[in-house]
Amino acid sequence: MEEDCKPLLSPVRKGSYTDTGSTDSLDRAARRPFHVEPRNIVEDTPSERVTAEAAVLSSRVHYYGRLTASADRLLSPPDHVIPCPEEIYVYSPLGTAFKVTGGDGVSKNPSIITIFAIWNTMMGTSILSIPWGIKQSGFTLGIIILILMGLLTLYCCLRVLKSPKSIPYIDTSDWEFPDVCKYYFGTFGQWSSLLFSMVSLIGAMVVYWVLMSNFLFNTGKFIYNYAYNVSISDTDFGTNGSNRVICPFPGTGGDGRNGSGISAPCQLSDGYSGYYGNNTTDTDLFDRWWSKTNTIPFYLIILLLPLLNFRSASFFARFTFLGTISVVYLIILVTMKAVRLGFHLEFHWFDSSEFFVPEFRLLCPQLTGVLTLAFFIHNCVITLMKSNKHQENNVRDLSLAYLLVGLTYLYVGVLIFATFPSPPLSKDCIEPNFLDNFPSSDILVFVARTCLLFQMTTVYPLLGYLVRVQMMSQIFGKHYPGFFHVLTLNIIIVAAGVCMARFYPNIGSIIRYSGATCGLALVFVFPSLIHMMSLKRRGELGWPSGLFHSLLIVLGVANVAGQFFM
Amino acid sequence: GMSSTAMKKKVLLMGKSGSGKTSMRSIIFANYIARDTRRLGATIDVEHSHVRFLGNLVLNLWDCGGQDTFMENYFTSQRDNIFRNVEVLIYVFDVESRELEKDMHYYQSCLEAILQNSPDAKVFCLVHKMDLVQEDQRDLIFKEREEDLRRLSRPLACTCFRTSIWDETLYKAWSSIVYQLIPNVQQLETNLRNFAQIIEADEVLLFERATFLVISHYQCKEQRDAHRFEKISNIIKQFKLSCSKLAASFQSMEVRNSNFAAFIDVFTSNTYVMVIMSDPSIPSAATLINIRNARKHFEKLERVDGPKHSLHMRMR
Repeated sequence: MEEDCKPLLSPVRKGSYTDTGSTDSLDRAARRPFHVEPRNIVEDTPSERVTAEAAVLSSRVHYYGRLTASADRLLSPPDHVIPCPEEIYVYSPLGTAFKVTGGDGVSKNPSIITIFAIWNTMMGTSILSIPWGIKQSGFTLGIIILILMGLLTLYCCLRVLKSPKSIPYIDTSDWEFPDVCKYYFGTFGQWSSLLFSMVSLIGAMVVYWVLMSNFLFNTGKFIYNYAYNVSISDTDFGTNGSNRVICPFPGTGGDGRNGSGISAPCQLSDGYSGYYGNNTTDTDLFDRWWSKTNTIPFYLIILLLPLLNFRSASFFARFTFLGTISVVYLIILVTMKAVRLGFHLEFHWFDSSEFFVPEFRLLCPQLTGVLTLAFFIHNCVITLMKSNKHQENNVRDLSLAYLLVGLTYLYVGVLIFATFPSPPLSKDCIEPNFLDNFPSSDILVFVARTCLLFQMTTVYPLLGYLVRVQMMSQIFGKHYPGFFHVLTLNIIIVAAGVCMARFYPNIGSIIRYSGATCGLALVFVFPSLIHMMSLKRRGELGWPSGLFHSLLIVLGVANVAGQFFM
Repeated sequence: GMSSTAMKKKVLLMGKSGSGKTSMRSIIFANYIARDTRRLGATIDVEHSHVRFLGNLVLNLWDCGGQDTFMENYFTSQRDNIFRNVEVLIYVFDVESRELEKDMHYYQSCLEAILQNSPDAKVFCLVHKMDLVQEDQRDLIFKEREEDLRRLSRPLACTCFRTSIWDETLYKAWSSIVYQLIPNVQQLETNLRNFAQIIEADEVLLFERATFLVISHYQCKEQRDAHRFEKISNIIKQFKLSCSKLAASFQSMEVRNSNFAAFIDVFTSNTYVMVIMSDPSIPSAATLINIRNARKHFEKLERVDGPKHSLHMRMR
């Protein structure tokens, strides 16, 4: 009979949860208890499934419901008394529970959108440093490392994604990775995951400042030269011809370091090159006031510090499409340059020659550091995958996204490296920002720089907003504790960017240090530890798994150590 | 001779129309609210409920300040009738009221009448509907009102509570009121503790009979649920409502499983007792005998130091 087959609780219909707490009495299907207390009072389960307040409110609602006629709304709980939709569960007496999907719940996207969103989020400024990274570790070793790092970080990302699900008895559907860390490691876990997340965010913001100074400088220089018809002499060491590639720091290994591998602060580049134009004194004046490291980082403060102090970042979130356009344009640019420059590859396996680098170099940790940040999405992957329509495909979709990201990085890195004109220039000349290898008069690259400049101006406040929200919630409990708190934080972040742009504008180093540091906690150590702990609690920890994950932790530590020693 | 109604002491539940008295009364006393009475708006007449609250107190529910002329009539012509033989005055203020001056004016009128007719009455003020105030402002607003009320109430002493039917404050406020109305409550508590220790109970609760408000309790160790008193009260009141539909009345209940046994039974004329034993090996009969014997002892306690008015009646 149909009556017997009807479920005990009618399934929650999306939209049937009305905004007003008291439902229309005639709509009997919508009136349901919002909580059924677990009746098992024998076991002394340590974790309460519901709060004490919810339990006693449920008791009250039950009782009050008996005091009036069923159609009467006198003693119906008002809106402000009922928990918000995110905190409401419908329990079946048989033990399962499911959440009421609120009216404005998370919209579900098909797989392709999710994959694209992940690709879009992961594609950052590290793409500019991949050729340099490949150069630092050697061409063959670089490719191998890129593939391996991609696989490793993908595995750790999957661990992060699955970590909330292995927590028993607690509903973790709105948990992010810091919450999981807090569950396993207490306040230490919460604070350290916040700290390392901050490292990646602030590192990105510093890189942005350096790059924005760079791009603004080059854009301004291009416009000045174009407007005043100043022709630049070829004092920069580079190739001749229309597809000019330059080597800004010849003989210093491309990033101001000498060959023995000890890092030194990069030579102050104020972009000065000899001008042979008509107004020498004017150009001198221009060069003094429009300097990549001396003045432009400070000009940017006027533009960006006010933007950082906006209360809400939703305005800037509309411009995320610029990032996609920039990356696509970069890929097109790289392809066109490759077509024009042609391939210049020679394989010297372990010895360096005048124009080429060995295939296997000891400086490979620099590439792993860069790649850790390039493949980093572990602090928000849970949130990103929540909107995937078919949750069972999460592993497949994340893997596809990582594959796409890896292919993009590989394409750009390999092409730039391979087509770098080696006979006149040494491969060592490849800059941490590969756009620096093209003169400021290059129109294609000028367009790229302008696009990226504009895109970064819109992403920078978003990053600042993320830092502000996370730090302020942890320290003060609210997102906007006060104008001066936020201003102080913004001044600190901007000062860090300005200092780096002034004294050490080497984005390769900034990326690899911040990447390895935040990767240590959020990519290697915490996911592996948490996985091992959850297996151990279930008694399923076998020695191969334990060995493998301990190895991952060792790799994470070695990654950081390698940045300092190589 | 005097009619029995005139001799019974009253609990006056007063307050502006719409301040939540009827709902409060319904919740505390488990009275079904018929729709009709409320559709008429203000409580036109006094609502007598012949509930034996704390012995033989009668609950009278009054609206104050509905229609001014109507209220003036009652206050002038019926005043002495209303305010004589009052044991307790519970005045309900709506925290959201926009007419604070008027509310205070009516309150003061009631106090004057109390001073004249029942100077020994205890006065309680409930600042109600506190759930409508933002959480971080509740303490502040209640403190302000409390100061005002204390000042206005002199020379009478009033005890103020902040309440809302949507949290535990209503139950706690009424429990405190009942606690203050029981004449020998400290002695009851001591005896209750002895009783509990003798029968080796985990927890013993003493409820007021009509409302199942907890008068006193003893527990031998920390309990997890701080809201258990209200929950038990709600459960039993619901059960009483179900019983009343069958024209039955609730007397006692035993709940037991492999881990514990709980007994709810009539105790004295004003109270119920709930005994919780965590040693299920002790047979029910033993505990029930203990409760029965204790009952006699506690009845004696109540009769000796009974409510003052019964002594007065005898003497007059």
